Amino acid sequence: MSDTAVEASASGAADGAVDTAGTDERLTFRGPFQRLLTQPEIGALIGAIAIWGFFWAVTRPFGTAGGTANWLDVAATLGITAVVVAMLMIGGEFDLSAGAMTGATGIMLILLVKDIGELGGLGLNLFVAIPLSFIVALAIGWFNGTVVEKTSLPSFIVTLGTFFALKGVKLGFAKLLIDNIQVGRVDEGTGYEFWRRVFASTWARNDHQFEGRDVVYNQLLLLGVVLFVLAFFDMAFVHRRRSDTRWLPVVFGGAALAVAGYVLLHVRNGGDMFFGVLVGAGVIVAVGAWGKYRYEPRTSSDLIRPSVAIQTLIGGGVVSLVIAVITAIIFDAESSVSLREIIADDPLKAIYLTVLAAVAVALGALWASRSGHRTALVRTLSALAVIGVLIAILLLLSDETVREARIDFLTSLLLFTEQGIRAILFVGLVAIGLIAMAMGAVRAGATSIPVRSFVQSSIALAVVAIAFFVQNQSASRKFRAELFTVMLLLALVVFCWSIVSLLAAERSAPDAKADRIGRLTMTVGVVLIVLAVVVRLLFTTTAEIEDGVPPALFSVRIVWFIAVTAAAVWALARTKFGNWTFAVGGNKEAARQVGVPAARTKTQLFMVVSAGAWLVGMLLTFRLTTLQASTGDGNEFEYIIAAVVGGNLLTGGYGSALGAAIGALIMAMSGQGIPFAGWNSDWRFVFLGGILLLAVIANNFIRSRAEAVRK
Amino acid sequence: MSLLEVKNISKFYGNIIALKDITTSVEAGRVTCVLGDNGAGKSTFIKILSGVHQHDEGQFLVEGQPVRFTSPRDALDRGIATVYQDLAMVPLMSVWRNFWLGSEPTVGVWPFKVVDQTTAKGIAVDELGKMGIDIRDPDQPVGTLSGGERQSVAIARAAYFGAKVLILDEPTSALGVKQSGVVLRYIVEARRRGLGVIFITHNPNHAWPVGDRFMILNRGRSMGDFDKSELDLTELTRLMAGGAELAQLQDELAEAMESTD
Amino acid sequence: MTLNKGEKTMRKFKGLLALLFAFTLLAAACGESNDATEEETDTEETDNSEAEQEEETDDEESSATEDGEGDEVDLTAGGDLTFHMVTHADDGPFWSVVKRGAEDAAASVGVELVWSPSNNDPEKQVQDIEAAISAGSGGIAASLASPDAVAPALAKAAEAGIPVYTLNSGVNQYEEIGAVTHIGQTETVAGEGAGQRFNDLGATKVLCAFQEQSNVGLEERCAGLEATFEGEVVSEFVGLDADQTAQQAAIGAILAEDDSIDAILGTGPVVAVSALSASQDAGKEITIGGFDITPDIISAIDAGDIAFTVDQQQYLQGYLPVILMFLQATNQNTAGGGLPILTGPGFVTPDNAAAVAELVSAGTR
Repeated sequence: MSDTAVEASASGAADGAVDTAGTDERLTFRGPFQRLLTQPEIGALIGAIAIWGFFWAVTRPFGTAGGTANWLDVAATLGITAVVVAMLMIGGEFDLSAGAMTGATGIMLILLVKDIGELGGLGLNLFVAIPLSFIVALAIGWFNGTVVEKTSLPSFIVTLGTFFALKGVKLGFAKLLIDNIQVGRVDEGTGYEFWRRVFASTWARNDHQFEGRDVVYNQLLLLGVVLFVLAFFDMAFVHRRRSDTRWLPVVFGGAALAVAGYVLLHVRNGGDMFFGVLVGAGVIVAVGAWGKYRYEPRTSSDLIRPSVAIQTLIGGGVVSLVIAVITAIIFDAESSVSLREIIADDPLKAIYLTVLAAVAVALGALWASRSGHRTALVRTLSALAVIGVLIAILLLLSDETVREARIDFLTSLLLFTEQGIRAILFVGLVAIGLIAMAMGAVRAGATSIPVRSFVQSSIALAVVAIAFFVQNQSASRKFRAELFTVMLLLALVVFCWSIVSLLAAERSAPDAKADRIGRLTMTVGVVLIVLAVVVRLLFTTTAEIEDGVPPALFSVRIVWFIAVTAAAVWALARTKFGNWTFAVGGNKEAARQVGVPAARTKTQLFMVVSAGAWLVGMLLTFRLTTLQASTGDGNEFEYIIAAVVGGNLLTGGYGSALGAAIGALIMAMSGQGIPFAGWNSDWRFVFLGGILLLAVIANNFIRSRAEAVRK
Repeated sequence: MSLLEVKNISKFYGNIIALKDITTSVEAGRVTCVLGDNGAGKSTFIKILSGVHQHDEGQFLVEGQPVRFTSPRDALDRGIATVYQDLAMVPLMSVWRNFWLGSEPTVGVWPFKVVDQTTAKGIAVDELGKMGIDIRDPDQPVGTLSGGERQSVAIARAAYFGAKVLILDEPTSALGVKQSGVVLRYIVEARRRGLGVIFITHNPNHAWPVGDRFMILNRGRSMGDFDKSELDLTELTRLMAGGAELAQLQDELAEAMESTD
Repeated sequence: MTLNKGEKTMRKFKGLLALLFAFTLLAAACGESNDATEEETDTEETDNSEAEQEEETDDEESSATEDGEGDEVDLTAGGDLTFHMVTHADDGPFWSVVKRGAEDAAASVGVELVWSPSNNDPEKQVQDIEAAISAGSGGIAASLASPDAVAPALAKAAEAGIPVYTLNSGVNQYEEIGAVTHIGQTETVAGEGAGQRFNDLGATKVLCAFQEQSNVGLEERCAGLEATFEGEVVSEFVGLDADQTAQQAAIGAILAEDDSIDAILGTGPVVAVSALSASQDAGKEITIGGFDITPDIISAIDAGDIAFTVDQQQYLQGYLPVILMFLQATNQNTAGGGLPILTGPGFVTPDNAAAVAELVSAGTR
């Protein structure tokens, strides 16, 4: 978002608002959802979850501990540099030398510790050489920053110079000193064992057995989710002055019921619907009573008949879900007959598909005509004509001789198998249906809370129905058990939310104390969830080993990655330095005028980048022991891409270190997920390009939404 | 005693006379308006007061002592704060961060020294409240505030960080009618709190309601330095437009109107 | 205000639709080129509708497979196997033939092949090998252009009981890491062969022009040349294959500087063709030899502009490991007997260039 855009939107909204001071519309309260959506990293987070879910669904190893260790390993080095590069980008500069720097620091280290002749290295102890290489790295960062500041040249150019210089220096020294472009080996240095443990130790999952793992995992996860949901309640609803303790027994009663049901469900080893219903009922009672106990009751019962638009959305959503189920039933899940053959041999299915497409486009045209000026009829007719032509082309292409020519895109459409069509249509229609219903709920919420609650409950119900359908249709454990559970849990959360919002008043003013408690609880919840996942990833059980689970090696670099990200997030949000980083990137002149040492801040940022690159250099060196002279060259753009995917603005002044870390996760997951899925690696970059584009569009979209909400 | 006073100061760029024999003053709790059309020498005047340039002739007194600033920092140290037209604000940063930028309060010991957010937010909200602007969410980005409100944040910031004299450079020039009203209200508020305000503008309609003293610039020369009691809005407008020149223009326009009828 | 809100909602809806559509297209694009994933799932997780939601069989290819070799090969034996080829490849003309060989072999025995090129990045190779291990690979074949860095990861795979082969480079390390055998050409021997050729052709001073700075194999080629060539040898890095103009300019500069050079050995096919253009630009009669085969270098040899190219027959380097891994998995065969399997050197000279050219255009040489 550009400066002027902010101004324009702000002043546009301001005109109607200012004279009635105190009820300024732009200053309306932002609920927890809206606040969450204004975070710069939220787009990346949603993208990361979607990509994880996608590869979890389509590949076998991706979701396993081994697969996770693998993509985390790739993400770690990319992430460390992406995070520091994001900090610099927020400060309004680029560092193109970061990639070459990773290799340069590593090679320098090896040359320092190597002991082969008078020019072949200094034979230094690693305890001396490592700090020394760190200091040199900082010096390069200082040099970059100082030159950028002193000459006022774009950092793009200056660091490009440094990049070439480093590239040359690496090669030159390697050739000069050891006459080899492969510089090794660091493991000959004194103190290697210690530093290897620091930079390259690994955790072999199969050597760590913990029989109680799944119990710990389940309990922590549940507790975390409960705390998370309660925290959200606390931030969204108005507290009672004094809690209504009459409801407390009901809370405990409901909770006890839920726990009992849960325990029974486990003792009986799942499968029994009755206990599942018991858990659900218990949770709903407990949550409802909790709302009565803790929050201000709703006073008005503003049951307004929902508008036509809302009715359409909800009705359309339900219809879409029904069509999804019908589609899934009509088409064969096992059949790999291609679309071409369906068109040729199975007129019923072909007609069904055509009708579906026609209806979809007609609806789209109808909807488009509402916002445009032309009449609906013209648009619908023209759209139908387009469909007709498309079908004609498809039929034409299904002819053998035409297909020989392979007009690739359309042909590939024709090569969709029946099961593929079924899956895509099913997932797409379910998504459209749920989204439409969710939009209906949001719009209803603006006028009537009871109506919204009703819609939310319907969504929950629909999710449950879909969950059972999926469970019934699916043969894989992944979908039969895992996805099923997640969907039921999701439905339960939505339903609880609708119940509490029906009972309790939603907050319309900030409440610092409640927010603090809410944030604390939420943090604890998230920590518990993360802990649960970590336990599950790091430990294995005897049963798993007997099943021959593949080994999973977690590298210590993941810990470094987390540490660097945490430090960067903390520094940006909490310290003066962080404040100044945003300021020099957002408006350097303004920052200067109020006394921010802009030059010093930028130089320090360049040094932070060098330090990050140095760390990655060390991680690489101790992992590979031998580095190539070209190590890291050309990686700098990947760092910048990860930062951009994570919601950082190329123009500076806005962004997040956490976002950059998530951006790195996205890139790593896509990069490793594709071979896991067994896709042809030729397509890898198409996918990556798509991800990049999608992420940036989604970021923009969410940010503009968030800005709109703020107004 | 005046907070700030200039007596017959002049400024030359080579052989160009930028300012000649300017005299005016501002007292605590008073608003001095400096009016002038484009090119009248207003910005040169601001630059001298804020320490960017130095005067070549005459006397520049702060609280009765003659001064000669060599940098904006000098001026700030003497309590003279300038709010420029293009505002020292970072639009994407939140209100409270902008308010404190460059002077953030911290707690803790290095390397764990952090910005004291609770204090900083509290003070920012309070100070803005004193200026009559109700920021309920200090985490809102400054960019989403209206132009007038941004001016007010800058004014509140200058006032909080010990300014005695506030120089406002054309704060209303880019704003609509209502927004200008908001800013004028903040100027009155600053005056009420005992600050001396130098309000630079080319709009006599904005100057008249808030000003106590008016100094009119035209082509680098002073057209006079008046107390509010000495003139009225029509006179002020006439002076500003160059007196006789405006009368001539009015005649010409009247003629033109007649001929078209 | 209400109108405004309606528009906003519409914008949101439009965005979501666009996202959805884009995802579907991407998924379709990615899924199109893989054929046998549906069969990949193990017995516990038999195939299901949603897991394969974005994939579909490339009908044409799989039917071709069945028609061609269905009778001889036990498809069910290969159905569960996934082999990984982790190379330092860049998918250029050389490696695309290796890939072709590997894919042809995988198709002929009905196994799944994951081809992971790494563009000469050992870190990525290590990670790809680890990915293969955690995916429970049925066999890993890797090229060891940076042996120190990649060998430990490969050793881990061997330790985990996965059959390991090295291909292309790694002839000195394969035993140490526990690989069954190495499939490739000994670079030194190939270089020595080139040296003999230059002796026969009467050259006096050879420029050994190499195109990758971090590749031991290329250095060994130059070293082999130095060992057998009777005249003088200078070795220079002349720029990456990706930028042929730069290569030409670099070679041209060397030729301009040193008048006594009368022969050039390009350690790759691209660099040899660059050398040809550079020498033509310089207007000098220079004997040029190259390594490996591309359509360009073959037609140059056919025309008599380039004297020879050392062919390591890289199709075999892709084909053989897959076949060997398949036979090890299904028939407990271990080939090589502890020795590397050499795929070269063979020489392409003006005599046999025309015959090779046909195979090149078929993409198998």
